Amino acid sequence: MRLPAPIQNYYQRWLSRRLPRSPLVILNQRRIFIFPTGYGFFYLGVASLLFVGGINYENNLVLSLSFLLASLFLVAILHTYQNLSGLGLRNGGSESGYAAESGSLGVTLFSERRDHYCIWLKWEGQAAQQISVPAGTESALWLNLALPRRGRVVAPRMKVESVFPLGLLRTWSYVSLEHYCLAWPTPQASQECPADGGDETVQVVSSGKAGNEEFRGLRSYVAGDSLRRIDWKGYARGTGLNTKLFEDPAGGRLWLNWDALEGVGTEQRLSILCYWVLVLDQQQQPYGLKLPGLTLAPDTGDNHRLRALDALAAYPEFG
Amino acid sequence: MRVYQVPTHTRLWLVITIIACSLPQLLRGHLWQAGLVVLVMVIRSLADRQRIQLPGKAIRGLLMVGVVGITWITFGRIYGPEAGVALLVSLFSLKYLEVVRQRDAYVVIVLGYFVCATALLFERGPGMFAYVLLCMLLLTTCLIGINHSDTGARPMGHVRRAVAMSLQAVPVMLVLFVLVPRVAPLWNMKIDSGQARTGMSDSMSPGEISELSQSSELAFRVAFDGAIPEKGERYWRGLTLSHFDGRTWQQAIPRGVDKQAYLFQKGGPEPEWHKSLMAQDRGSGYRYQVIMEPTQRTWLFAMKVPVLEQGEAGLARDMRLVASRPISESVGYTVTSYPNLSSAIGLERSDRALMLSLPEDQNVGRRARGLAQQWQLDSSTDADVVKQALRHFREKPFYYTLKPPPLPVDPIDEFLFVTRRGFCEHYASSFTFMMRAAGIPARVVVGYQGGEPNELGSHLLVRQYDAHAWSEVWLEGKGWVRVDPTGAVAPERIEDGLRAALSGNGEDSNVLEGLRSFASSGLLGKLQQWTDYVDFQWQTWVLGYNSQSQMQLLRQLLGSTSPLSIALALFGAITLLLGLYMLVLLRQDRGYRQTPMEREFWRLHQRVAERQGAPLDPGLTPQQLANTIAARWPGAAKPAREWALQYQQALYNPAVLADKRRIRHLRRLRNRLYKLLG
Repeated sequence: MRLPAPIQNYYQRWLSRRLPRSPLVILNQRRIFIFPTGYGFFYLGVASLLFVGGINYENNLVLSLSFLLASLFLVAILHTYQNLSGLGLRNGGSESGYAAESGSLGVTLFSERRDHYCIWLKWEGQAAQQISVPAGTESALWLNLALPRRGRVVAPRMKVESVFPLGLLRTWSYVSLEHYCLAWPTPQASQECPADGGDETVQVVSSGKAGNEEFRGLRSYVAGDSLRRIDWKGYARGTGLNTKLFEDPAGGRLWLNWDALEGVGTEQRLSILCYWVLVLDQQQQPYGLKLPGLTLAPDTGDNHRLRALDALAAYPEFG
Repeated sequence: MRVYQVPTHTRLWLVITIIACSLPQLLRGHLWQAGLVVLVMVIRSLADRQRIQLPGKAIRGLLMVGVVGITWITFGRIYGPEAGVALLVSLFSLKYLEVVRQRDAYVVIVLGYFVCATALLFERGPGMFAYVLLCMLLLTTCLIGINHSDTGARPMGHVRRAVAMSLQAVPVMLVLFVLVPRVAPLWNMKIDSGQARTGMSDSMSPGEISELSQSSELAFRVAFDGAIPEKGERYWRGLTLSHFDGRTWQQAIPRGVDKQAYLFQKGGPEPEWHKSLMAQDRGSGYRYQVIMEPTQRTWLFAMKVPVLEQGEAGLARDMRLVASRPISESVGYTVTSYPNLSSAIGLERSDRALMLSLPEDQNVGRRARGLAQQWQLDSSTDADVVKQALRHFREKPFYYTLKPPPLPVDPIDEFLFVTRRGFCEHYASSFTFMMRAAGIPARVVVGYQGGEPNELGSHLLVRQYDAHAWSEVWLEGKGWVRVDPTGAVAPERIEDGLRAALSGNGEDSNVLEGLRSFASSGLLGKLQQWTDYVDFQWQTWVLGYNSQSQMQLLRQLLGSTSPLSIALALFGAITLLLGLYMLVLLRQDRGYRQTPMEREFWRLHQRVAERQGAPLDPGLTPQQLANTIAARWPGAAKPAREWALQYQQALYNPAVLADKRRIRHLRRLRNRLYKLLG
């Protein structure tokens, strides 16, 4: 059933006023809605049929049976409500993805005192996922999120619903977590590397060789150092955990530069930068990134790549 | 689309539920129904173990056609209560064959509700109802199970939840049962529950009542409001028989009397005799409630003269109650009987003609007629004739027995002068015959006499073997007077009942052995009395709870029976119950509870924020709060500091306990501060 647009708009506004965005939500009576399911209406129909039967056969026991069905329905309202009430939701992780593909957002469900069974979570219009949250535990759930374009994609309103325990009533709530997913630019291949800071840039790329860095010395290991640069041989000899330091090759410092792509549209610039980030990362070539308002020092590795991609995705609002 | 599969942890519950729900019908139904259920269960369990494929559409269709066919063959039709129920139960188990998705399970559960309801159409005892409640519990368990889609869910958890929910639902059900107004049937649907084939017929020929006397089935129960009449007074009149053809006594109404004038129905035109009856001074009466077992007849049993207080029945001119339609299921009615009223009904000319009529054939009872006329000549009054006749029965060697010799030719003379062995119907019949021959209007009354008291409920239990026949004679000035010739022959029949009257003679003892009664003493007797008591209460309060008794109860409970007050009571009671459950269920929901000390702090904090009209930093220490107060209200500086000191001491000084006294002290300080803050 689709409501007319003005009513629909009004309803959406009312919902967002009533259920404001927040990083953590505990479901309570302000947020929980409840209504019979189709089967619930059918069940009430059966109860009325038995009522009419009891009246007509003048059979008080059949009548009591219909009353029992009605009473179970009433009690089920409380139990169904209780199954959602007190459930907490908060931001879980977030996995970015390329624009036009999908990322996913983590939602952590927690419950302090009560078991919550068979809770369905979904974004509006997508397939739901089911989870149960026993008392005193936390469960994380990853929900896929379509990323239509580059940038921050704010988590849409999430529907949390449950028909447990009898399936007669559906209780649901809308949760807007302050949560977003970054959509990286779609890589766009280009011949020219938008980099400066090295004469050999073009040569390096075309030859496809790894950069020939010169060994400079050792220093003791600091958390965060790449495992590939640890002096494993020395460690085996018992000299302790040390990290090898290299000199940057002369002219080998690549700076992927926003300004190098003068005259290209913003999204296209970002897409090209993205492509080169991926290429250089595959070649394990250290690279830096210069964007208006953000500079990433040259480095290599997965973390560096992700940081670079996230910066491209977040442009122009970093942070 | 989500595709639900019925979770494995619920399959066993479904099987148990299907078997439990169908069981009452399988026990009363045909063997093939049980066979079908077993077949379905075997196929299904093999399929669940991957031994065979679940039967496809074709096989299921074939089974369905087969079931309809067998139903047709066994019942001759596929509609009507018996055949319909057989079909429903078969459908119920067949449906289990195709339960794959959640929706199928829903259908099975709904069918289960109907199967449970049909069980209650045929058997309404408290035991059956308890069993159906158990089935409902199982159905709820299944409902919970199919909605619990976690694969690791524990089957016993479903039952626990179902029990909790059912326990909460039952009080709500009771409220609904008591308060929801009973409306009249929308259309008439009666089910012949196949009960009560034994019972009184509407005529009396020799041997009929003695046959009835060999059954110890329940006829009806009577609960008195107050005194129970003496044993000798407990005559439950059912029918009066006034036409005699020489062998059989039959019901008749006087020639020329309109049936409507003879039987007064409430709401109909009131005949003269009823008006004068109502106008008469009643004297004291016995008030009682009768719960009658189904008889398939319209007459009701009551002592004379019954004035109906609750129930649906008309009063006939021969002082008996008549229901508007045959009693096909247990029915209750409340009556007050006024013995004095019997003189209020006159004997009209047409009545007299009927009550004096004898068979045309003068050869029937020739000797009896002679004897009666002799008595008439010898006595001055009708009452003397009655006395003479009773003396005759008492002094001649009459013998009271359940097995009288046959009377093939003339039941009156053969009995009176040859065999002299008979049961109550022989005595009543021949006595009435002789009274008529002596010119005294007389009729035979059939009904029950006596009844066994249940000490627990102080109600009487009247069984078929209490069936009895006696006479009523019309005496000038007294009206219809009861005369029981059996009492002249076997007084213990009236005082102690049939068993006592017959226990002395050998030939009836084998009949007696078959007759049940409360065992005289011991555990068994107590148990029987309890069973009877529960059954009686059940009949009265549950099965007999109709719109009349509902109105009466509501008048007592609510003081009024207006729709508004009923609606309010219904709404109020349910809200109260649900509110109570809500409190229990959401008890844990209140989240973090403040300690009394915290409450003290936050109240003051709030008040200060209110008074100064600006929010306060929630991170203030008590000392800082006191300083804030002192800065804004210099007059309150001293008590504020005092308060902070006391508070911090209670909180941090191990020598000072934050006990009730300390908190009370803090509250006093806070209240003083409130005043100073204005």
